[in-house]
Amino acid sequence: MSKEHVFEVVKKIVMEVLPDVGPEQISMEISLKDLGANSIDRMEVVTMSMEELGLKIPLMSFAHVSNVEGLVDVLNMNYAAVSENDTM
Amino acid sequence: MLNKNKVGITGMGIVSSIGSDISSFCNSLKNGKSGIRQMADTKEPKVSVDIAAEIQDFSFLNLLDRLENVPDQKRKYAKRLGQRAPFVVQTSIISALEAWYNAGLFEKEALPERMGLIVAGQNSTQNYQYDLIPKFMENPEYLSPRYALEFLETNQVGVLSEMLGIQGEGFVVGGASATGNVGVIKGYQQVLAGFADVCLVVGTIADLSPMDMQGFINIGAMGGKKYIDQPEKSCRPFDSQHEGFIYGQASACLILESEASAAKRGVPFLAEIKGGALNLDSNSSANPNLNGESKAMQSALEQAGMSASDVDYVNTHGSSSALGDKTEAEAIGRVLGSRASDVWLNATKGLTGHCLYSAGVVEVIATVLQMREGFLHPNINLEEPIHKDLKFCGAEAINHQVNVAITNSFGFGGINTSVVLERGK
Repeated sequence: MSKEHVFEVVKKIVMEVLPDVGPEQISMEISLKDLGANSIDRMEVVTMSMEELGLKIPLMSFAHVSNVEGLVDVLNMNYAAVSENDTM
Repeated sequence: MLNKNKVGITGMGIVSSIGSDISSFCNSLKNGKSGIRQMADTKEPKVSVDIAAEIQDFSFLNLLDRLENVPDQKRKYAKRLGQRAPFVVQTSIISALEAWYNAGLFEKEALPERMGLIVAGQNSTQNYQYDLIPKFMENPEYLSPRYALEFLETNQVGVLSEMLGIQGEGFVVGGASATGNVGVIKGYQQVLAGFADVCLVVGTIADLSPMDMQGFINIGAMGGKKYIDQPEKSCRPFDSQHEGFIYGQASACLILESEASAAKRGVPFLAEIKGGALNLDSNSSANPNLNGESKAMQSALEQAGMSASDVDYVNTHGSSSALGDKTEAEAIGRVLGSRASDVWLNATKGLTGHCLYSAGVVEVIATVLQMREGFLHPNINLEEPIHKDLKFCGAEAINHQVNVAITNSFGFGGINTSVVLERGK
């Protein structure tokens, strides 16, 4: 459930950063590069996604991410951890 | 050995409080329309002057759509580069696209490496930074990585060169209130000496933060107190009731080009730049200097191979500052000598407010439009001139054919500039 939510957040932000990209183009498998994002656009997607989800993750954690799913997974792993803490 | 090319203006573009393109700006000059009013919304903390000539209801996408002659590919590029960019960058993109189109550069291209780019603007991201500070204080981690690009003035060099495919020299110049003229003079020299065939000069918006406004109030430079309830009367260059400058917003762009390049591309000179002089008073303070201002006008005329007898019109710096206006009036009197009572003067800042970094470019555009359309715009608030021996335009525009004009800009730090323009044939 949570992974789906994180994907929706990432999707919304990708469309904000890349105004030419439509929702149908954004899948788990595609890379941000293939959507036309340069390195700054990609870093911006990461920062804005973290902000939207209330997360603070070292940027190094995203070093090996190669597609949208990889990004969603790193965010989701941390998001789940924060959510658990919240309920404690 | 350096060349000595003839240099002209082949394109112009503007986004201002009195017109968001060249033709609406020109109509506003003719009609004496002022952009000065109560500020749309003031931020915290409130400062004591809330009068300015702001660009009203700016929409980057609407203005981009209105530039219908820009090729779709370029428009798409501009959209991606500009849609989320700061206000100062968005307005520069719009004025640059208009100037580029007017110079015919989309259809009749010039060689990328023979095109240069000068951004005339300093501290143009002040308000952008001011707005980010509260969020940054709370969560520094969420600062956009783009900030590292955007707080640099040279961001505009990158954005405009990418959008327009410029690959020659590109840099930023500053000169306080004379910044625009410094850009025009440096662009003129680039083309004159043969470093570029085409040089785009863009004067950026001064996007002042409340702290910048308060600074100008505290140093005694900003007016607007006497006429706080009548904003349209507050900017009064050369009038006895002047009391300081009124802040204005504009992005303005010129395409400067060599005669050979313009001829090859088949585009006319709207005006020729005959000379451009810049000198310093050796003064770190804000006060103007009669000798420095006179010298700037004289040197520009000498470069042009002209004398006071050739001049028909002076577009003054005329910022509505008491000491500034008085000093400039005396300098003009000294330079024009016996011709002082024959040469028309007006102050564009009376309509546009003081656009600070872009003021020089705005006023070159105003001068070229008046030359080409055969009119002089009014000084709408000049009721009691401080100088009786000079020929100031009155409350209504007049028909008048100008062939040779001087346009002045003077800045804090003893920076004096004058440019001499001749109407295109």
